[in-house]
Amino acid sequence: GMGKSMPQMGGMPQPNGGQARMAVNNVMQQPGGQPSMNSLNASMNNLRVQQAETRPINLLQERHIVEPMPVEPPKSRLNPEYSKLQVDPDIFRCTLNALPQTQTLLQKSRLPLGLIIHPFRDLSHLPVIQSSVIVRCRSCRTYINPFVTIIEQRRWKCNLCYRINELPEEFTYDPVTKSYGSPERRPEVKSATIEFIAPSEYMLRPPQPAVYLFVIDVSFSAVESGYLSIACQHLLDCLDRMPGDARTLIGFITFDSTLHFYNLQEGMTRPQMLVVSDIDDIFLPCPNDLLVNVHENKELIQELLNQIPSMFSGNKNTQTALGPALQAALKLMSPTGGRVTVFQSGLPSLGQGALKSREDPNQRASSKSVANLGPAVDFYKKLSLDFSAQQIACDIFLFSSQYTDVATLAGVAKYSGGSVYYYPGFHSTQNLVEVERFSNDLRRYLTRKIGFEAVMRVRCTKGLSIHTFHGNFFVRSTDLLSLPNINPDAGFAMQVSIEESLHDSPVASLQAALLYTSSKGERRIRVHTMCLPVTNQLTEIMAGADQQGIVALLTRMAVDKSLTSTMSDARDALVNVSVDSLSCYKGTLPSGQTVGTLMCPKSLRMLPLYTLAALKNNAFRLGTSTRLDERVYSMEMFKCQPLQYIILKLHPNLYPVHNMSDEGAILVNDQSIPQPPLIGLSSEYINRNGAYLMDCGDAMYLFVNREVSIAFCLEILDTPNFRSIPEGMTELPELANPASERLRTFIMWLLDKRAFAAPLQIIREDSKKRVLFLRNLVQDRTESSMSYFEFLQHLQKEIK
Amino acid sequence: MATYQEYIQQNEDRDGVRFSWNVWPSSRLEATRMVVPLAAMYTPLKERPDLPPVQYEPVLCTRSTCRAVLNPFCQVDYNAKLWTCNFCFQRNQFPPQYRGISEQHQPAELIPAFSTIEYTLNRAPSCPLIYLLVLDTCMDDDDLQALKESLQMSLSLLPPNALIGLITFGRMVQVHELGCEGCSKSYVFRGTKDLNAKQIQEMLGIGRTSAQPQMRGQQQQQQQQPMNRFLQPVHKCDMNLTDLLGELQRDPWPVGAGKRPLRSTGVALSIATGLLECSFPNTGARIMLFIGGPGTQGPGMVVGDELKTPIRSHHDIEKDNAKYMRKAMKHYEGLATRASNNGHTIDIYSCALDQTGLHEMKTCCNFTGGHMVMADSFNTSLFKQTFQRVFARDQKEEFQMAFGAVLEVKTSRELKVSGAIGPCISTNVKGPCVSDTEIGMGGTTQWRYCGLTPQTTVALFFEVVNQHNAPIPQGGRGSIQFVTQYQHSSGQRRVRVTTLARNWADAAVNIQHIAAGFDQEAAAVLMARIAVYRAENEEGPDVLRWLDRMLIRLCQKFGEYHKDDPNSFRFAENFTMYPQFMFHLRRSQFLQVFNNSPDETSYYRLMLMREDLTQSLIMVQPVLFSYSFEKTEPVLLDTSSILPDRILLMDTFFQIVIFHGETIATWKKEGYQDHPEHDMFRQFLKAPRDDSQEILQKRFPMPRYIDCDQNSSQARFLLCRVNPSQTHNNMYAWGQEGGAPVLTDDVSLQVFMDHLKKLAVSSSS
Ligand SMILES: [Zn+2]
Ligand SMILES: [Zn+2]
Repeated sequence: GMGKSMPQMGGMPQPNGGQARMAVNNVMQQPGGQPSMNSLNASMNNLRVQQAETRPINLLQERHIVEPMPVEPPKSRLNPEYSKLQVDPDIFRCTLNALPQTQTLLQKSRLPLGLIIHPFRDLSHLPVIQSSVIVRCRSCRTYINPFVTIIEQRRWKCNLCYRINELPEEFTYDPVTKSYGSPERRPEVKSATIEFIAPSEYMLRPPQPAVYLFVIDVSFSAVESGYLSIACQHLLDCLDRMPGDARTLIGFITFDSTLHFYNLQEGMTRPQMLVVSDIDDIFLPCPNDLLVNVHENKELIQELLNQIPSMFSGNKNTQTALGPALQAALKLMSPTGGRVTVFQSGLPSLGQGALKSREDPNQRASSKSVANLGPAVDFYKKLSLDFSAQQIACDIFLFSSQYTDVATLAGVAKYSGGSVYYYPGFHSTQNLVEVERFSNDLRRYLTRKIGFEAVMRVRCTKGLSIHTFHGNFFVRSTDLLSLPNINPDAGFAMQVSIEESLHDSPVASLQAALLYTSSKGERRIRVHTMCLPVTNQLTEIMAGADQQGIVALLTRMAVDKSLTSTMSDARDALVNVSVDSLSCYKGTLPSGQTVGTLMCPKSLRMLPLYTLAALKNNAFRLGTSTRLDERVYSMEMFKCQPLQYIILKLHPNLYPVHNMSDEGAILVNDQSIPQPPLIGLSSEYINRNGAYLMDCGDAMYLFVNREVSIAFCLEILDTPNFRSIPEGMTELPELANPASERLRTFIMWLLDKRAFAAPLQIIREDSKKRVLFLRNLVQDRTESSMSYFEFLQHLQKEIK
Repeated sequence: MATYQEYIQQNEDRDGVRFSWNVWPSSRLEATRMVVPLAAMYTPLKERPDLPPVQYEPVLCTRSTCRAVLNPFCQVDYNAKLWTCNFCFQRNQFPPQYRGISEQHQPAELIPAFSTIEYTLNRAPSCPLIYLLVLDTCMDDDDLQALKESLQMSLSLLPPNALIGLITFGRMVQVHELGCEGCSKSYVFRGTKDLNAKQIQEMLGIGRTSAQPQMRGQQQQQQQQPMNRFLQPVHKCDMNLTDLLGELQRDPWPVGAGKRPLRSTGVALSIATGLLECSFPNTGARIMLFIGGPGTQGPGMVVGDELKTPIRSHHDIEKDNAKYMRKAMKHYEGLATRASNNGHTIDIYSCALDQTGLHEMKTCCNFTGGHMVMADSFNTSLFKQTFQRVFARDQKEEFQMAFGAVLEVKTSRELKVSGAIGPCISTNVKGPCVSDTEIGMGGTTQWRYCGLTPQTTVALFFEVVNQHNAPIPQGGRGSIQFVTQYQHSSGQRRVRVTTLARNWADAAVNIQHIAAGFDQEAAAVLMARIAVYRAENEEGPDVLRWLDRMLIRLCQKFGEYHKDDPNSFRFAENFTMYPQFMFHLRRSQFLQVFNNSPDETSYYRLMLMREDLTQSLIMVQPVLFSYSFEKTEPVLLDTSSILPDRILLMDTFFQIVIFHGETIATWKKEGYQDHPEHDMFRQFLKAPRDDSQEILQKRFPMPRYIDCDQNSSQARFLLCRVNPSQTHNNMYAWGQEGGAPVLTDDVSLQVFMDHLKKLAVSSSS
């Protein structure tokens, strides 16, 4: 019925800069006077969730699909008690917030079932329990959690296997009041996320100290790019802030065609460099003092970090023996485990693991397939597994303007629970944006929390089965992920199938337990438990679909597909999820309602747009000149980043900022943070007198159109007019006026929330760099890709 | 006419040469019947401060197969400005710059007093000296500290422009970069893996510049190329090196209980050799290896790291039970050959209580003329003073060391060269004067000495090839010329030329002339060299039999006797000592090895193979002085010289033993020397000490100093060397006039002589 009040379908305006209109804060006051679907939705906020989420939307008529406020995950339809205790979806979420009772029903929905987890996310409030007894199910080893059933205060029924367990007496004892009381008051049953300090039976060996080894490329290009002195400076600055305790050890290996170890033994007057040239047969040049106590040997360490840039400043050696350096790292770190941080500029050229360029620029544009997405050799994967076996994680920072074979080198991080960072075109003076990104990333990296010797296991209610894991780790046994390191910025996903029907209970639970050694040498277990309703209704499944969760899982699956099959297959698979699920949804609607429409439940309304964005993303696009490394890096990021970044990379947030007000501002630490509305990624929304902030997760663009007001130039940019805005501006001047403060406060607030750097670039509409901004306007058509509307039409065609 | 004794002395003083025979038998057949071969002990760089500086090049005979140097024995036609070569009789024109010569105006090389002359070549650029220190760090702290101090001290003794390098090793081998700012930097190699020069060059990142092949003439330019980072001038890096040595620590690798430290001597030396080979080929350089124990891993290991398995003994070697020996010897011989081919010297300073593998490594010193020094610890004056003496300077303030020498021997046509025995190797240069009969290293007329000192003495053997039916004209003389080209420690290239001539005599008619020219000391030392050379290269016991046979034959040939009447045997005066030398040689540590370790044997033999005649003779037959209140006198090396009221001073070259007779020892114990009224006694005690100091100050290596009393355990050092004229087997002598018995089953000199005479006169032999 609602579609009928809309203008004719043919009247859909084509994106056109000249005629673009802007979204404003209040959708009810939209120019043109026509009430849109968005405005109607907004007015129906009070309706029951289920009703709102399943309310059918005709996407072909839903002109402004991006709502002013960010997309929220759907709420599970749980009883109020459980609802209150539900795990934070930013930590742990399911693609479907109502679990299908059977695999058949799941398949019918054509939606992917999986979990998205960000297990070591920085938390401001985390209950930590130090108790002699950690209550766990005797049968399935589930940790007691808010979703168990307490029976007569003495026993509890496991929500995963339904066994009834005794409650130990201590559990009801409150050390503060020194009295026995109700078990319900225990934090274990009050908080879905909790951390235990584990007793010794959770240790295979005494907790190891935090051990950090830095493996640093000092070849000609490393020196020339300038990363070396920047990296050393940050290492110096952050030396005191690296997590650890009195036992923390640190070591350094530098390399070009040879390896250089550093003996930093206490009592020496200067660092001792030990060069090992025999890179085909790596050995450690001395038995100890290559990893030294960071506190006791601080002076030598600082001296070394001060010296490294000058020591190699004239280095003409262009070769890099990365493989041998990593083999040395393995030997050095094996007794303790720990973290290996590698800085590599360019393709490793010597010794084992040497690589050759596999990129043929002429092939980039070929439309059908993308070659060389997988590793060229298995050396790095094997080494990564060896690292993992010794509780070593390897993180790699790549710098290069040339082909670096991210596909192969990322392997060393992948299986060892490490991270990959990539700074294409890094240059200390010619590419300040990458310098800022690297600097921020490295500072965060060095000072963020870290867990060692970690394992993660996800248990689920009987009937559910976890089968495919995404992220950087090694699967040690069917459901145990080995994570030599865990960091707060690592995201994981796993696919779930329903092996036995779930009719035993109206709810099902999933519990992730992360066992790790803290940098202070404590063994800890962080437990996240999620409870979901089970349903036999397709509509409820549809209503509970978490479109961001789904896309976070789908992109991971698509990455796998592009490696095991082809890029085309991966793209088809992405599109098919939209086609199939909307097709399924169509089947649930009365046939009369669906003619000439593309109907979609509200819960999935962004799915086609996200899908289109994915097809246009560096990772999955075809027929464009995406550099292989950038593509592979994007793919890697989809595999291992937390959901929030994946969504931003896929579909950046775009805010008009030329006329910000305090309306709707929120208060954070007594500071008013303006909340400009989100607008769609289309030039339709770009006004020629406007300025727009685009947040891509790892980059921010302030796009200034040519007819922007003089006031904006003066107040925000400290320039008299548009023409005076300098090229390559990367900072907003700190001007004492409300407009400037508002915008800067807003940007600061956005940046504060994230782990990764997102350097700001101010881009004039007539700058060459405008493409950085414009290419993210995914709703617009390009020479080689569909506009959003065309894509919807395509979907409509496919849905029979 | 001077006596032969004086003649021999003059020749030795002037030419540094001693011949076994000073009158030469004129035919091949007769020469072979002389028993002791015609041979010379030659000291090429004998100190001759009186030699005039000759700053021009030697004039050579133009015959391409000869190239002998113009010398005082050449006939000169001063009018025609021609000279006749005394080796090939080629008539040569003097070069233009000699046009002013006349009988009154002769160049130095024609003056008979300059039969030995030295030319300094100015065309060749001078090279700085190169020292590469190779240091074992598997030793206890006291030893390491002492060694570090010695090395630090040595820096001040080096000329500022000398290049120096440092390699340390234990389980790993570290090549240190010198003079780097900030970090100290070294290249580390596994001690178990041998590398060739090219690999070492690549791994050290040196010598990449030589892309185009070097022409022979450009080699000198190559030497002038900037030094690599591992060999730096002393003036540039001495502070740095002093600090580096100061910070040097014991090998950090843990050593398990019951284990030896893993010591990579073989690879360390290989890297040192390779480093010099690729950076300074054909330039004088010393590798100075300091070891505190045996190599226990990698190529060149001589023993495993299990302490319960001891290092090989002579018994093990005899039973072919020395597991690592042959492989190790092959490894070090390979290195020695490479070093020697490049003109580099390898010195070994071995300081440990147990053996360190000198037996396996000896070729390194032998082939290259390097020093071998053996002591119990680096923290001994033996090591410290010996090491300091390496850098001793002569009156001209010049180092007493020379490098990269090639000795060439030219002979007149009646003679050929059979070989050489000394701290050198053959360069395999064939020529018309190479004999088919080899003694020592033969088949060549040239030998290379990478390192040599003014003492270095080589034995050179000759064959008379003149046939019996080709008589030599009356007054004809045989000639030999030694031409030694070398790098002086100042860096200059120099040529030392010694030309000798001796009379021929027909043995059939003038055997007495030949016999009169016999130099028994030279003969004894030359025979000792042959015997030791054979012992090193063949079986031991056979050598003793050979020596005996030769001695008997010499007695038969030159003794006067009636057949089968031993009492009738008489020797000419210049033969009488020879049997006694042979007696002591037979029982010396050079041929009787079982009381010594293989390392000691190798060390003793090495010294015998290079020292000059006087020192060698002391080694063969130690000298013994007796001190009484009345006088000091040389006495027989015999038990009869041990008397209660005497002090003895024995010099074996390797040891200085001061031995107090029983009575003296008692007085000493009672402290008479501390009483002013017994000042005489104090001075008496002091006299042998003062005399021994003179030897201790001069000799290289410094001898071991043993101060002992009769009946003390240390007394064995003396007792084992004296002739056992009185032993527990002939106790009847005890209680008779003087002397003390020695516990030994060895035969005495008397018994030996009696037996020898019997065999010599026997008609059946
Ligand atoms: Zn259970
Ligand atoms: Zn001639």
